[in-house]
Amino acid sequence: MQGDFCGRTRREFLWESGCGFGAVALSALLGDDFFGSQQVRADGVTPFRNPLAPRPPHFEPKARSVIFLFMYGGPSHIDTFDYKPTMYGRDNQTVEVRTFGRGGHRNQGRIVEPRWRFRQYGECGKRVSDLFPYLAQRVDDIAFLHSMTADSPIHGSAMLMMNSGRILSGHPALGSWVNYGLGTVNQDLPGFVVMLDPRGGPISGARNWTSGYMPAYFEGTVMRSQGTPILNLNRPGGVSATSQRQVLDALRDYNEAHGMTRAGNSALNARIASYELAYRMQSSAPEAVDLTQETNETRQLYGMDEGRSEAFGRQCLLARRLVERGVRCIQIYSGGNHNDANWDAHGDLAHNHNLHAGETDKPIAGLLTDLKRRGLLDSTLVVWGGEFGRQPTAEYARGTGRDHNSYGFTMWLAGGGIRGGVSVGSTDELGSAAAERPFHVKHLHATILHQLGLDPNRLSYFHGGLDQKLVGVEGAEPIREIIA
Amino acid sequence: MHLRRYFLAILIASFELSFAFGQEPSQAEGSKFFDSQIKPILEAHCFSCHGGGKRLRGELDLTTHAGLVKGGENGKVIDLKTPGKSRLLVAINHGEIKMPPRGKLPQAQIDLLTKWVDMGAPYSASTVVRHGPPKVDDRAKSWWAFRPLKQLDLPKVADEKWVRNPIDAFILAKLESRGLKPAPPVDKEALLRRVTYDLIGLPPTPDEVKGFLADKSLDAYEKVVARLLNSPHYGERWARHWLDLVRYAETDSFERDNPKPFVWRYRDYVIRSFNEDKPYPQFIREQLAGDELDKVTADSLIATGYYRLGPWDDEPVDKALAYYDGLDDIVTTTGQVFLGLTISCARCHDHKIDPMPQKDYYRFLAFFHGIRHYGAAASLRPVALPEDLTKQNPKVSEYKRSVAEVEKQMQAIEEKVAPRLQGGEIDDFKFPTNRLDILRKNAGKLLSLEDFNRYQTLVESLEKLEKSRPTVMAQALCVNEVGPKAQDTFILVRGSPKAKGERVEPGFPSVLTDIKANLPDVPKDAKSSHRRRVLADWIASKENPLTWRVAANRLWQYHFGRGLVRSSSDFGYQGTPPTHLELLDWLAIRFAESGRFKEMHRLIVLSSTYRMSSKSSENGVAKDAENDLFWRFDPRRLAAEEIRDSILAVSGNINLTKMYGPSIYPKISKDVLAGQSQPGRGWKVSPPEEAARRSVYVHLKRSLQVPFLSVFDAADTDATCPVRFATTQPTQALSMLNGEFANEQAEIFAADVRKKAGDLAKDQVRLILWRACQREPSAREIERGVRLINDLAADGVARPDALRLYCLLALNLNEFVYLD
Repeated sequence: MQGDFCGRTRREFLWESGCGFGAVALSALLGDDFFGSQQVRADGVTPFRNPLAPRPPHFEPKARSVIFLFMYGGPSHIDTFDYKPTMYGRDNQTVEVRTFGRGGHRNQGRIVEPRWRFRQYGECGKRVSDLFPYLAQRVDDIAFLHSMTADSPIHGSAMLMMNSGRILSGHPALGSWVNYGLGTVNQDLPGFVVMLDPRGGPISGARNWTSGYMPAYFEGTVMRSQGTPILNLNRPGGVSATSQRQVLDALRDYNEAHGMTRAGNSALNARIASYELAYRMQSSAPEAVDLTQETNETRQLYGMDEGRSEAFGRQCLLARRLVERGVRCIQIYSGGNHNDANWDAHGDLAHNHNLHAGETDKPIAGLLTDLKRRGLLDSTLVVWGGEFGRQPTAEYARGTGRDHNSYGFTMWLAGGGIRGGVSVGSTDELGSAAAERPFHVKHLHATILHQLGLDPNRLSYFHGGLDQKLVGVEGAEPIREIIA
Repeated sequence: MHLRRYFLAILIASFELSFAFGQEPSQAEGSKFFDSQIKPILEAHCFSCHGGGKRLRGELDLTTHAGLVKGGENGKVIDLKTPGKSRLLVAINHGEIKMPPRGKLPQAQIDLLTKWVDMGAPYSASTVVRHGPPKVDDRAKSWWAFRPLKQLDLPKVADEKWVRNPIDAFILAKLESRGLKPAPPVDKEALLRRVTYDLIGLPPTPDEVKGFLADKSLDAYEKVVARLLNSPHYGERWARHWLDLVRYAETDSFERDNPKPFVWRYRDYVIRSFNEDKPYPQFIREQLAGDELDKVTADSLIATGYYRLGPWDDEPVDKALAYYDGLDDIVTTTGQVFLGLTISCARCHDHKIDPMPQKDYYRFLAFFHGIRHYGAAASLRPVALPEDLTKQNPKVSEYKRSVAEVEKQMQAIEEKVAPRLQGGEIDDFKFPTNRLDILRKNAGKLLSLEDFNRYQTLVESLEKLEKSRPTVMAQALCVNEVGPKAQDTFILVRGSPKAKGERVEPGFPSVLTDIKANLPDVPKDAKSSHRRRVLADWIASKENPLTWRVAANRLWQYHFGRGLVRSSSDFGYQGTPPTHLELLDWLAIRFAESGRFKEMHRLIVLSSTYRMSSKSSENGVAKDAENDLFWRFDPRRLAAEEIRDSILAVSGNINLTKMYGPSIYPKISKDVLAGQSQPGRGWKVSPPEEAARRSVYVHLKRSLQVPFLSVFDAADTDATCPVRFATTQPTQALSMLNGEFANEQAEIFAADVRKKAGDLAKDQVRLILWRACQREPSAREIERGVRLINDLAADGVARPDALRLYCLLALNLNEFVYLD
């Protein structure tokens, strides 16, 4: 009986068959298959298996988890990691440069000189701006991609692209793909966790962590670093643990009696078991977010002792704890809501970036340091970046605001089998567009999947008559230059 | 024997020896056998992945004997010494490997392949098999789904007594041929529950159960079915199926995720259409071409909202591409929903699996090429008929004047502020939906508090005015075209709007028909090209084989939990073959005759097949574990909307009287709203009485789906959803145990029970179980409930709280959410 394909629906059925594993891998996978036990099966004794049960990767992975630090709004690459020495001293000069942002297509603009100085750090001598004095000290662990490109310089579609690989709504997020491909080793916690900025979510909200056409259990779960960590995790007010246990015991009695005469419906058993799992989650998730177990030194490392970096520091520390507990994919948003509540520096560039870099610099450096000293950095891939970068020129007649730029921007990766201290690709002299080795978002996605042991060109899901892939039907290769 | 096979294998593998042993087939016979019997199977089912193309699955190339012998990345697939042990055979028999992965081949084809392997898998030397898009040829046209519908004789069965109508004859004949017996009839309570949920999506009331049990007349069940089909709640239930298919949602998605104005009129149109038992051809014509019909009505205009339901980026990065993406959304949805065809796969190249050249995609798209790209302004139309509008109506002019006045005053304030805005707000301000928020932020800075307050009051009066809009001025989201002449359509090379290829005219998929699409001459002042009418007429015609097969299959799916064709929106080569082709064709012909849904429902739910128990049997499991043949009724979990509606219903709280109109906003917890960029935006919480309406009326906001519904697998809104998932996951348990909605309803449930059942725990428990399970509970079940309440009380839980917890338990019962 095990591993047969008795798909109750074609969609579920194809979910299995469409995932593009080789035949033998497929059968191995089915032996441990969730849907096999979810079907209306005749044996009636099939135990519940979590839909997110671990699944074998395509090959030996370098990384077990990924933490995506999402700088929502689009940080300016030439003010952070992409050093443009010739721009200094040219403030307000008019230049011929092709740009495309929210303000439309332009061929000319007024230079806004980078507002921070760059210094060299580490053995690799990488130049980093003064926005990141702490993070800069980790450059030997980091691989910079200076020639990133995306299909859209507009927040709505660009966010979707960075998260799901497409500028159209309705496709599963990276974290959904990872959980679909690998499952999660800790079944008491969600496999794809999203943490939001206290000022609000990103635009399009939950569309950014949706599972799209995949089942809902692959979608991101919003986790809060304070209060109730997960929606509906706390018992309602006035209900004690004992009372709830008594209710669950009685529920189980009823459900078992009901199931006795319905041996042909194993979904009933699955549902009974899912209640026990839910009960366990009520204690395991609060334990995971309980930062009182951490030392003061650790909390300081993450910048939790400073007001401005407290919130993001808490989330980074929480991310480490989730990684330790086997959570596959964690996404933390720096910035929320609109305009200056995130990296979207249309107005006063210095004000905006000082604020957001100040909030995140120490926490991110702390995260890398902490992961490394605990031996977790090798197996944890950390990704940093926004949905695009910013233009070298001013958006308006006055002021230092920069418009969006998807022709060229910087992202970086660290840990999880990534070579440290390297920089790949470049933008032109002004940083207006990718010059050498342009990379597309899909190459970044391919690299992330590859480090997790998944072949980006084989990981597919059948939907709408097509084997859909995160990296698109035409596929994409990982960025080999940065893989250790 | 082994030795001989071995020799034969070498012989055929090398193609060097030209003689054969004894009875074994000659090389020529082998080639002939391959060409006539095997190649078609490989082409249809294997070559799309193992066809030697650029993207070879598992590195296995089945187009040559050498490739077959070489095997794939996981080793050999054929064992020439002991052919019976070949992994190829394991795979096609769906052993530990399963090929084709999308569904087992029919037994006859498995037998042919087995024979072929046994022969040593000869290929034809003369034929070079090439991977490439399937051709539109006679073989393609005779595909089971594409060939014309033909009247069939009913099959003969042994147990004629079981046959209530022809459906049963088809089902029983197959069961008998496999030595299977249909499950016994389901008991009356379960049948009532099954059919009530099926037809109206709600649980039967205790009185309805008691009435049905007491009714010993022969047509007791028929009466129930008639009652349910006449219920207005039937439309609410069946509309939801259709709304899944047409990716119905009420906002645009993307950054602003703005509401689609008056889109609910389309939802109401669908509900009314089902309740009126509108013939399917009319339903098709109204949605696809309601503005181009001989008789255009308010309803037929509203129906064309069909074109306006998809996601829409109001700030697209590439306008030309976005326009074609919009058309693609329409082609995709129309192709899959009405025809079961994945036409959209041919947007960038010829369809890789189905016989559908890229040209067919653009010929199909050409029918829609007059449509103006979506945009609320471009899509709103008055629903009143022109003659009503031209009437001098004092109310209309009064209304228009008031609106203009308010807008003028708002504009005055906006104009004061706009030039002084800074940074991102400059562009944000261009979107009217952002203005109030931006002004609020700048109140006291760029504008006086007084001005802001006035602006806010103006916004409110505009909303109020909108509500009092004269009915004759009612608007709806409709299709609109550029004029009488549609735009020229070109094949776009690799799907790129920048690479125009050959020019094409509107045309139907070439594999289905040779009929030319005859485009009418359209008067110069016509508002549209009338192309869509031509398409609608062709789809709605009785002769269209796909329309009726697809629709009949969907009907079956919604009644039985799975279609006769499981891939209900893909009837092409990669779809799953029907388990009962003859039955499907019979149903399709029958449906095409009247086009009436209710007649089909009646036929189906009155069949013996529908009335079978869901109980398992050893023989059934042994011979057909997947219930392909329908030897029993498949049990099912309630869908998201049914679960929410049932909770409201059994707690005595549901508001069934109010139907139709603008959507409702059930409470969403703050924690969930925090995920929005502006928490709470676009979600005005409805008062309790409104919030207690059925789920079909819940506002469908693409970026903020009601968690209670999405956790139970409500349809994703961005693409057509032919089959819902039915997952089991701990987050469902958490929302049912700890969630605000479940607990609030348990409280209401408990209060109602206290009122109606008195103070005795056993009476209370009995009533609670009656309502939740719609049957008389056993003494033991009552006793268990009383014990829980007493145990809780003994632990210090107050009696009312203990009762509330018991109500919550009842809502969590497996029996509550599963149907037999």
